[in-house]
Amino acid sequence: MKWTRFSSTAAVYLVLVLGALFTLGPFLLSILTAFKTREQFAQQSALSWPDPFTLDNFALLLTGPAQFGRAIVVTVLAAVLILVGQLICSILAAYAFARVDFPGRQVLFWVYLSTLMIPPVVLVVPLYLMMTEAGLRNSFWSLVLPFAFASPYAIFLLREYFRGIPQELIDAARLDGANTLDVLVEIVVPLSRPIIATLTLITIVSHWNSFMWPLVVTTGTDWRVVTVATASLQSQFNGNWTLVMAATTLALVPLLVLFLLFQRSFVRSITISGSA
Amino acid sequence: MRSRGRLRRRSAITGYALLAPSLFGVVCFLLLPVLVVLWLSFQSWDLIGPITFVGLDNYQSVLSDGVFGNSLLVTLIFVALVVPIQTLIGLGAATLLTRGLPGSAWFRTIYVLPWICAPLALGVVWKWILAPTDGALNTLLGQRVEWLSDPALALPAVAAVVIWTNVGYVTLFFMAGLLNIPGQILEAARIDGAGAVQMFWHIKLPLLRPTMFFVLVTTVISAFQVFDQVYALTQGGPARSTDVVAARIYYEAFDAFDLGRAAVMAVVLLVILVVITLAQQLYFRRRVTYEMD
Repeated sequence: MKWTRFSSTAAVYLVLVLGALFTLGPFLLSILTAFKTREQFAQQSALSWPDPFTLDNFALLLTGPAQFGRAIVVTVLAAVLILVGQLICSILAAYAFARVDFPGRQVLFWVYLSTLMIPPVVLVVPLYLMMTEAGLRNSFWSLVLPFAFASPYAIFLLREYFRGIPQELIDAARLDGANTLDVLVEIVVPLSRPIIATLTLITIVSHWNSFMWPLVVTTGTDWRVVTVATASLQSQFNGNWTLVMAATTLALVPLLVLFLLFQRSFVRSITISGSA
Repeated sequence: MRSRGRLRRRSAITGYALLAPSLFGVVCFLLLPVLVVLWLSFQSWDLIGPITFVGLDNYQSVLSDGVFGNSLLVTLIFVALVVPIQTLIGLGAATLLTRGLPGSAWFRTIYVLPWICAPLALGVVWKWILAPTDGALNTLLGQRVEWLSDPALALPAVAAVVIWTNVGYVTLFFMAGLLNIPGQILEAARIDGAGAVQMFWHIKLPLLRPTMFFVLVTTVISAFQVFDQVYALTQGGPARSTDVVAARIYYEAFDAFDLGRAAVMAVVLLVILVVITLAQQLYFRRRVTYEMD
């Protein structure tokens, strides 16, 4: 009895460890290869340790014609602007839906929710046409504008959260002469920190990773984001895998670090939102 | 009476003022594009010339030439490969991770890593791993397998990469579902003499139904839209064997410069996904009322 229990535990750990190796393998291969010279890559096995350890691939990426440094700056700026815009607009809307009585509230909330059914892939072609007509194609704003105003999902999550805030707190502030914005800034937002943190992670991650829209709406190196730069590097330097793996490492590692720092919020945010 | 009317008007003004920025976003960047894509599906546009009305020509051309039919079929096969396999692996992993063994949280963290990373970047990493001559997998196997350029292997290979990416996400939900099962129920079953297998089939699995349902719906919808990994790994090839709908829309619009045809395909995809979502809503509502009875 004891022996079978021990061996079954050992078997479970064996499966879990194999699964972990299989999951981590591609990340490790990418990172190892990024620090290798082309010569070592050509001569030794993929699993060999970088020897000599070189930063040339990263240097070439950041200073060379690939303009990876610029891509990182563009991606971060776009993600931060989208985040700020989305949070402000979504918090205002969610408060209106949760706590303000106005005609058409139910219908509008239903309309917002129904937009969750629209697959992003479907929006790429019409948004491209709209951006072209507006003269914004291949500009920084074309990366930001379509996402900066509101996220129906964020509004939905925030509304649920706001409904849990005791009305007495808001009424008390009102009696002290606070207007709606005061109530939002001084009571609602501070009490909603966990859900705001969750939304921050979801937004940053999804826009750092986003690919199809930036691929479509930008051309050339000016407003290229990290994922698009990585993809074009791959087709441009096909076979120069040490350089390409330096690019994927730059695309992956910031999120890995973010994830390890905020592991708990991340796991919670995935289970809350069903996406990340 | 009068002041109540004024209060109501004030609260209506406040409501709409708060809503204004998000309403602008929802109308301009979600609702309007849906109308634009519908409109564009009746037009001809090559990105450069003028946009001209062509009636149902695009629909006729898309529905008759077999390219889009192939994409729909490829997407269905892809969904049928990815969803069941990742659900099974995720369920298995979650069962192992909820046995209370030390270190379970660490494994969970590791498994979910691919899910939060850029699918495009991971696709590029796998492109190298699966490369025919200098790829890590073939070097390890010691033989040359054309994972991504053999039409018979390419779609399963892309599916495998997507499964690898998604398993952690599925695991997370099944873990939450399993941990939500009340301890008394499991205890009662154990006292009644249920073994581990019986426990799983007759107690845990039925109680996991809502989780299972949620996981299936979200993963089917996202698998229908797969693009990044396909773009990185195969660009829809070889011989259109991985030409999923999202990739077809992209190539039709920005490679063949036929925006009208791309719009038709987008409309069809929209209809398919809305029908799936509504069907699951209806089904879910029925289920919930059944269970309440």
